[in-house]
Amino acid sequence: MIKCEDLHKVYPIGKGSGYQALRGVNLHIRAGEFTAITGPSGCGKSTLLNIIGFLDNPSSGKYYFGERDVTAFDDGKRSGLRLRGIGFVFQSFNLLPRFSALDNVKLPMLYAGMDKEPAGKLAAELLARVGLAGKESNSPVKLSGGERQRVGLARALANRPRLLLADEPTGNLDSGSGAGIMDLLLELNKEGLTIVMVTHDQGLAKRVSRVIRMKDGLVEN
Amino acid sequence: MRVYESLRTGTLEIFNNKLRSFLSFLSISVGVISILYSITLIYSIRTRTQKALEVAGPGRIVVKMKDRWNSSSDMEKKQARESLTLEDALALESRYPELFMTSPMLRKWIQFRVGNFSEWQSVLGVDPQWRKRGWIYKMRGRFLNQFDIDTRARVCVIIIEGGWLKKPKWLKFYDNKDRFQEFVKHEDMLGKTIMLSGNLYTVVGVLYEPPREKNPKAFLQVESWSPKILAPITTVQRFLSGYDESEGGIDQINLDTGRESTINAYKARVEKFLAARHGGRLNFLEIKDYRDIIKDKLADKQRDMYTVLIIGAIAILAGGIGIMNVTLATIYSRIKEIGIRRAIGATRGAIMAQFVIEAMLLGFFGGVAGIMVGLGGIQYLASKGNEDMIMLQWWMPFVSVLAAVATGFLASLYPAYQASKLDPVEALRYE
Ligand SMILES: Nc1ncnc2c1ncn2[C@@H]1O[C@H](COP(=O)(O)OP(=O)(O)OP(=O)(O)O)[C@@H](O)[C@H]1O
Ligand SMILES: [Mg+2]
Repeated sequence: MIKCEDLHKVYPIGKGSGYQALRGVNLHIRAGEFTAITGPSGCGKSTLLNIIGFLDNPSSGKYYFGERDVTAFDDGKRSGLRLRGIGFVFQSFNLLPRFSALDNVKLPMLYAGMDKEPAGKLAAELLARVGLAGKESNSPVKLSGGERQRVGLARALANRPRLLLADEPTGNLDSGSGAGIMDLLLELNKEGLTIVMVTHDQGLAKRVSRVIRMKDGLVEN
Repeated sequence: MRVYESLRTGTLEIFNNKLRSFLSFLSISVGVISILYSITLIYSIRTRTQKALEVAGPGRIVVKMKDRWNSSSDMEKKQARESLTLEDALALESRYPELFMTSPMLRKWIQFRVGNFSEWQSVLGVDPQWRKRGWIYKMRGRFLNQFDIDTRARVCVIIIEGGWLKKPKWLKFYDNKDRFQEFVKHEDMLGKTIMLSGNLYTVVGVLYEPPREKNPKAFLQVESWSPKILAPITTVQRFLSGYDESEGGIDQINLDTGRESTINAYKARVEKFLAARHGGRLNFLEIKDYRDIIKDKLADKQRDMYTVLIIGAIAILAGGIGIMNVTLATIYSRIKEIGIRRAIGATRGAIMAQFVIEAMLLGFFGGVAGIMVGLGGIQYLASKGNEDMIMLQWWMPFVSVLAAVATGFLASLYPAYQASKLDPVEALRYE
């Protein structure tokens, strides 16, 4: 489903040649896999995930999403892929504080052009699915960390993506809430969703089908 | 993303930042108020000018004795002058019968007397053609006819002023009552015999002017001080003794070609024709296009109009800068939100649209607030007798609000574009 060939990412720093965050990553992820990426801090995990999620561009290398070479896609097409093809779950949740839980989940559907009523219904279903029935109108500010991440997960699923990307989804949670999120992710994977998750938690990494280790901007074999 | 959603978010943002929004409302409102005022003024001047020209006639030319005291040299002042004559008018009429109107005029300053009442007044000698243009009156009795002219009849027509529908306040302060008008208003003059310069005349007709607000002549202040007694020009010339400046002839001839396009051609023809009749010398006459006379009268109003318009433009500009500022501030305080929306899948266009719509909403609310204040002010001015402000049209508030919305749109384009260009990863990391 995803194929990366010799991905490089160079962050410009001052006048020098820049910082090499990725130095030739090769990666192949098949549909239906649950992959965990682990590695020491600063090895380039988030950088790689952002590139896979069309939030960032590689400096060089090739990236295939589905069967298509998407390396040279323009911003409009990349936005479209983020909107419909991919769901993102963040360590710090990244919910809109002035919107209710329901409105947060609805937002991607509205961007996709869905009408308000069906979007509201679907969003309520998704919230129920992640165990937040009855809290639809709460502001994220009034939810616990675990609940916030459930809203984040529901939002990531809004447009029925083929791929879910999660950057340390349990990083800000206590172990209990983290385990709850992990259970949900495993369940979703069982239903066929492809998941790539960055994590520092070795315990979580053990529960998934495939673990990739990174070091100094490279994937270790 | 539906526009409706952006409108909802925008409204939320505006109410979440009350002070910030209020400040930009304020300048937009001031701008809208002055724009509303100035388009009302412009509209008023345009329509009244048009009305006045319609009433005056589209192809009007004025042939007039030059004011003697404006002559260039003492020599000229002392010289016996040529004068425009009634015969000139008659000759013009038979030479150019296709002219819609050839109306000679002679004005004399005389004493008007009825019983114990007496007052100095001017009398205008005219012929029946006078009524072909500038006829804004309701008439009782009859107007002067050709028979009156031919027989030098001792008859006259009296004009009664229309007064005000609503008298302006400032006029009440120095209200010098016109004794003659007071007299003829309260006495039924039709059929009465009166004394003009010691001779008996019969009032055969009474003309009623419309109220000043609706009187196109009053608006332009052309002919607004014209005499209120009309008599056959032949009678005035021969029998009525009084003061005049015509040197034995007449004061002016008003022509109308019937069409605007032929004015210049006839101006030249008339000039040539009259020159031939006066031994080639025409320096005692001026031949003027009536539109030029009107333009001179309007110059003042036009200056007013531009001043207000410039103030309005500056206020709107200030409002625009305010909106730009607010939009920039909003964007800075919402970088994280922009990152989140981009990560979810919002395109650059969607981000840009969001902020532009928000700014247009700001312009809209400010505009509506301005309209409410402005309409109140205009109502007030109109109730105080402002002749221009009663010309307010239903579409003017809409145009003004549109201007405010357009300002919001233009002012936010650049900040919104900047917002749309933010890097999603950077924006997400922003705290
Ligand atoms: N915008 C940037 N400019 C310069 N350097 C950057 C930038 N973003 C990331 N880096 C550097 O690139 C390297 C990889 O960063 P990345 O965020 O991918 O690490 P990570 O593996 O996710 O670490 P962590 O586990 O702490 O989240 C780091 O050394 C970081 O300092
Ligand atoms: Mg990271």
